[in-house]
Amino acid sequence: MTPATRPRGKSAAVTTTVGGHVLSLTNGDKVLFPNDGYTKGDLIAYYRAVAGAILPYLRHNPLTMERYPDGIAMPRGIWEKQMPRFTPEWVHRVTTTPSTGAPRDVTFLICDDEATLVWIANLAAITLHIWFSHVPSLDTPDLILFDLDPGERCPIARLAKVALAFRDELAGVGLNALVKTTGGMGLHVVVPLEPRYDYEQAKAFAELVARRLFAVLPKDTTLERAIARRPDDVVYLDWVQVGKGKTYVAPFSVRARDGAPVSMPLAWAEVEGMRRKRAPETTAEMRRWTIANVPALVAKGGDPWQREGWKPQPLETALTRARPLWGK
Amino acid sequence: MAHAIWSGAINFGLVTIPVKLYTAVRTDDLRFNFLHKQDGGRIYNERHCSIDGEKVEYGDLVRGYEYEKGRYVTVTDEDLKAVRPEATQSVQIVEFVELDQINPMYFDTPYYLEPEKKGRHAYALLRDALIESGKVAIASVVIRSREHLAAVKPNGAALVLELMHFADELVDQGAFDFPALNEKVADAEKKIAKLLIDTMSVETFEPEQFHDKYKEDVLAMIEARANGEEIEAAEVQRPVATNVVNLMDVLQRSLAQSKSRRGASAADDDEAEPKSAKKGTTRKKTPAAKPKRKKSAA
Repeated sequence: MTPATRPRGKSAAVTTTVGGHVLSLTNGDKVLFPNDGYTKGDLIAYYRAVAGAILPYLRHNPLTMERYPDGIAMPRGIWEKQMPRFTPEWVHRVTTTPSTGAPRDVTFLICDDEATLVWIANLAAITLHIWFSHVPSLDTPDLILFDLDPGERCPIARLAKVALAFRDELAGVGLNALVKTTGGMGLHVVVPLEPRYDYEQAKAFAELVARRLFAVLPKDTTLERAIARRPDDVVYLDWVQVGKGKTYVAPFSVRARDGAPVSMPLAWAEVEGMRRKRAPETTAEMRRWTIANVPALVAKGGDPWQREGWKPQPLETALTRARPLWGK
Repeated sequence: MAHAIWSGAINFGLVTIPVKLYTAVRTDDLRFNFLHKQDGGRIYNERHCSIDGEKVEYGDLVRGYEYEKGRYVTVTDEDLKAVRPEATQSVQIVEFVELDQINPMYFDTPYYLEPEKKGRHAYALLRDALIESGKVAIASVVIRSREHLAAVKPNGAALVLELMHFADELVDQGAFDFPALNEKVADAEKKIAKLLIDTMSVETFEPEQFHDKYKEDVLAMIEARANGEEIEAAEVQRPVATNVVNLMDVLQRSLAQSKSRRGASAADDDEAEPKSAKKGTTRKKTPAAKPKRKKSAA
């Protein structure tokens, strides 16, 4: 090493001002996605570019960071619920019980402005997991989420068919559903709720919907929780994800996988397009939205869910309507 | 309140003070269960007889003492009680001594002694007399079929029974190679060491400041894992309403109940206002805990 080269591994910190807060961004050229070459600087740039779209989802919810300080080659990342000790004073937080019956309270970070978003991206927080409920109504979820998890040989058209069936069955009882990619293999179908039902009620309704879907599409879906007993060409309907202290991947969050895919909110028209696809390449299709192309899509069209209509909805009328339709 | 582990009396001279004994320290160690690596199933311990290999239930167990290799005498709870029937019921005070006469290494586990109603006065009397004399009582007590040496000490408003080691339980210092007390140490060195002690000295010892950091970190790791774990493998299928109609009924009832609850408090509780989290407390714009100490050397 010649005296002119800078010390290996450490690049100088860059100081930048976001929203009036001076942030010191370190190791911007550290590669987080070794197969794609995306760096921490790219991650920060991504979250800044989509800040306007992602912040409405993060703004009031306890956050769990999935961090990869040494890149996604490390097996599981660091799942951080407890806010780090070195968190700056201006970052908002909430102290609450992390789940029912947990032995101690946890102080969660709340990401409600661009400065915080940049600060956590600088911690290599690739994936942002948020609660189903927001502060202060932490006991009443804002949404039900169904994880549509396709088996390895499940064609994309089948996955799309199941998602559309969710939309239609829910529309049949007067509920508006939204859909996003998980950034992995599957889709998340989301039903926004008025935040006045407890988690047990939300879960019971989710079970009801999942069972209805299984009854409607018994050949395309499974409720079998054990992976070994699931057929590998159908869609597993996971409705048990909703719960106090449980989290879901925030819309527009990056996933720690090759290609840096994004959990992308979709217009239903997009899913209808997938329904007609003949190619079996589900995974590639589902990871089409990445850190590289999402900023441009957001700049052009904003958040697709704003157009699809995120509206908190009551359950009582839906249940009344479901009784004659689904009760058979 | 924890339940008493023992109930009996403090005896000294002709005085008898009925008391209950409670543990004064909680040891909440991390506890793990063993699972089968392949399928995550819980591992059970079964007791098997070394003679016939049969499984043995708890009710069929009896205590045995190996008095010579491979030879046992059996001993029942009654046998143990019969040896010293009165000892299982009392803290027998044998003498009083000034606290600083006892090497702290003898002290083992503290217990609280709580007086029964009719012993309150005598209890207070003994406690106050101990405080004023600066002495502690040395007593003999039997807990769980073992005789212990113990000290009874005043501590705040309580009398604390502190189990002590017997002299032959302490390991002799002669077994180790410690530098002799008169070993030569330069005054200048000592000065520096004392200076260091002074700079790190505190007025009062605050044990609340110290935590089992390792345990906290392990728990945080476990919680994070439990939170992030793919759910399908870990969760046991819970019993659910077998058909959709039952499920609808259950949910309908639940919704109706919360509706009537809300209706009852509707006067001061706006319907549109989400009920606030019981334990969730927002602390917006409060400063983060200050870092204890900056690293001095970068």
